[in-house]
Amino acid sequence: MNKNKMIGFTCAYTPKAIIHAAGYTPYRILPIGNALDLAGHILHENLCSHIKRVLDRALQNDIPELAGLVFINSCDSMRRLADAWKKVRPDHKIVMLDLPAFKNELSISYFAEELLRLVNTLSEWSGDAVSLKSINNSVKLYNELESILDRLHVRMQSGMLKGGSEKFQTLCNLASTQPLQQTIKLLKTLVTEPEFETPAKDGVPVFLFGNVLPDPDAYSLFEKCGARIVDDDFCTGSRLFKPLQTGGPEEILKYMAKSLFLNTPCARTFDPLEPGKIARDIINRAKACSAKGVIAYTLKFCDPYLDRLPMVRSILQDASIPFLMLEGDCTQGSIGQQQTRIEAFIEMLR
Amino acid sequence: MILKHFENMISGIEAKLKKNPEGTNARKKFALEIARLGKKIYSGGERIAWCGVIAPFDLLNAMGVTSCFIEFVSSNLASTGSVEKFLESAEHSGYAIDICSYHRAVLGATIKNQMPMPDFMIATTAPCTGGLAVMEVLAKKFNRELFVLDIPQDESDKNIRYLATQIENMIDFVADRTGKPLDPSRLRKAVENTNETRKILKEVFSLAQHIPSPAKGRIFSGVVPALNLFLGTDTTIKIAKAFRDEFKNIIDDNKVDISNEKFRLMWLQSRPQFKTTIEQILEKQYKAAIVVEELNDITWEPIDPENPYDGMARRMISSPLNGDIKKRIEQFKNLAQDYRIHGAINSCHWGCRQGTGARGLITESLKEIGVPVLNLEVDVIDPRNFAQGQINTRLEAFMEMLGTRPSPW
Repeated sequence: MNKNKMIGFTCAYTPKAIIHAAGYTPYRILPIGNALDLAGHILHENLCSHIKRVLDRALQNDIPELAGLVFINSCDSMRRLADAWKKVRPDHKIVMLDLPAFKNELSISYFAEELLRLVNTLSEWSGDAVSLKSINNSVKLYNELESILDRLHVRMQSGMLKGGSEKFQTLCNLASTQPLQQTIKLLKTLVTEPEFETPAKDGVPVFLFGNVLPDPDAYSLFEKCGARIVDDDFCTGSRLFKPLQTGGPEEILKYMAKSLFLNTPCARTFDPLEPGKIARDIINRAKACSAKGVIAYTLKFCDPYLDRLPMVRSILQDASIPFLMLEGDCTQGSIGQQQTRIEAFIEMLR
Repeated sequence: MILKHFENMISGIEAKLKKNPEGTNARKKFALEIARLGKKIYSGGERIAWCGVIAPFDLLNAMGVTSCFIEFVSSNLASTGSVEKFLESAEHSGYAIDICSYHRAVLGATIKNQMPMPDFMIATTAPCTGGLAVMEVLAKKFNRELFVLDIPQDESDKNIRYLATQIENMIDFVADRTGKPLDPSRLRKAVENTNETRKILKEVFSLAQHIPSPAKGRIFSGVVPALNLFLGTDTTIKIAKAFRDEFKNIIDDNKVDISNEKFRLMWLQSRPQFKTTIEQILEKQYKAAIVVEELNDITWEPIDPENPYDGMARRMISSPLNGDIKKRIEQFKNLAQDYRIHGAINSCHWGCRQGTGARGLITESLKEIGVPVLNLEVDVIDPRNFAQGQINTRLEAFMEMLGTRPSPW
């Protein structure tokens, strides 16, 4: 068995607990680092920088040794990333899971079958059968991790986490790339530390959401501009760590399928019975955390967000909630260029 | 405005057909049906469903629903030279210029009240996530119910079962809204028509492969995707037969000059939907003919009338625009071989993640079989940044390069 080996993943819908139960460390290949911009030649420049920077890391061997990769068929760009990966890293084993675009009884059952396919694939890769019981145990461990992260998140929201939102994002990055037990141990130590009043405590409360924002410095920039991030929703942040329902080993895959749908509200997944629900969800979350305004940060070329954000803006306008939309490319430079806009928006909210 | 366009189109084509009923008219007959469909959609009084590109149109036709993919509108707006104001309208409303212009044009048309209100909507998760997102936005704007068909990536038994079940659920959804349950005899007839159309179109493809090819210029451009809208009806059979007979006559009567076909080209993705001189330049200056488009192909097997939903599910999943790029590349290689292609032109439609996103992989794979690719980087709907001069230079360099290479066949 490939104990201690890592399995790469790139999407928040990835069932990390199954990878963990198979004896691997799930390793989120984050679009960070200094790899040169080469991916556009393999694919096209019109793909989002999440995909291109992750591929750049593969091209330049800026990733740890991996036993394989789990891709999720979540969007066009993710499919193209998987295609390109096969070309540039033929040494890697790859599995791509289908992810329905909406949640109903049929799609949850289907996704549960896809999870079972992953279980079988990982059993084959590792040479050991992955039991439902071990998955159930891994889910419990992830729920423990989530619970500690949630406590730290609450501190961050009230401006009482030492290091602020920058620190919290650093922890999310660690938790998505490092061995689970090691991260739990570290977080347990952090959570026993006394609360620490940060300058962000007096900042203007904002709700921040979008797709991919793994750079801790970006959060620091928001705070420097006078914001206090009272809640956030990114696929590289808190969205990655939500509690999974457990119902015993026999039903674990179905519960996981349901939980992943419920907990991971990326714009690509929606409710056909309630078009535009993403906007109402954002309003509810902004109101629940008493945000004075909402900031969306989305990567250029991300269709699921770019196509829906004008609708979100319009619904937020109707609800009289101030809204700022930022587009970037995963780099600190791209968000730094927007500092004046962020400052003006925060000033307007005061 | 758009209704008037379709009405004018109908009267114009009918007059031409009347004047010369025995002429080379397949393209005109095809255009006439497109215009009639457009008129039906824009006239009101019909039960309309806006759909995703690979929806099961034969099934919807059998249920008496006039169904159409939304990109039909953008394509028509571009071909009539009126798309710019709709694109601008969408952009002024906050839709990023990086969004596919097929969808930006439709959003603009909706904002300007130029998209007919549908009775309901049927989206498909393939071929693109952008298109799916826009269907949700339109459902919200129209305040209409939306049914989504979730298309898995490959044809495993589990995936076929999953999609076939959804298709059966879609029938209930449609019947609940129209008040008319599916008539099994109409479904059977629709499936038979679909299979007959498939058979005739395969003959058309075979004729188009002839050297020299009768399918030059724009004569057959974009036909198969648009014919899908009429699938299951007699119309597709009529149009497919018109092309088959015309191509056969052209070949039999030696109406195509072989000296005008020094190079045979394959077009990847859609061609520009607005007027350009690309085909004329290729044919006149370089004796090069576009003899096949990737979208003018059929990748599915006949549908079993006894078990139609599995067959429809297979057809949807089989689309080369769905799933792994390997499938699409295999299709290109097969087309290149079947049509004896010397080179390919990829329009690289800006805003298309699923199609253009694989540009590098496609170029590399076709190179392996000796077929070079010219990546043009144009937006096929939005003419605002189209620079004919630059395109001419790229074409010239590509054709010169082709002239120095041995034929891969």
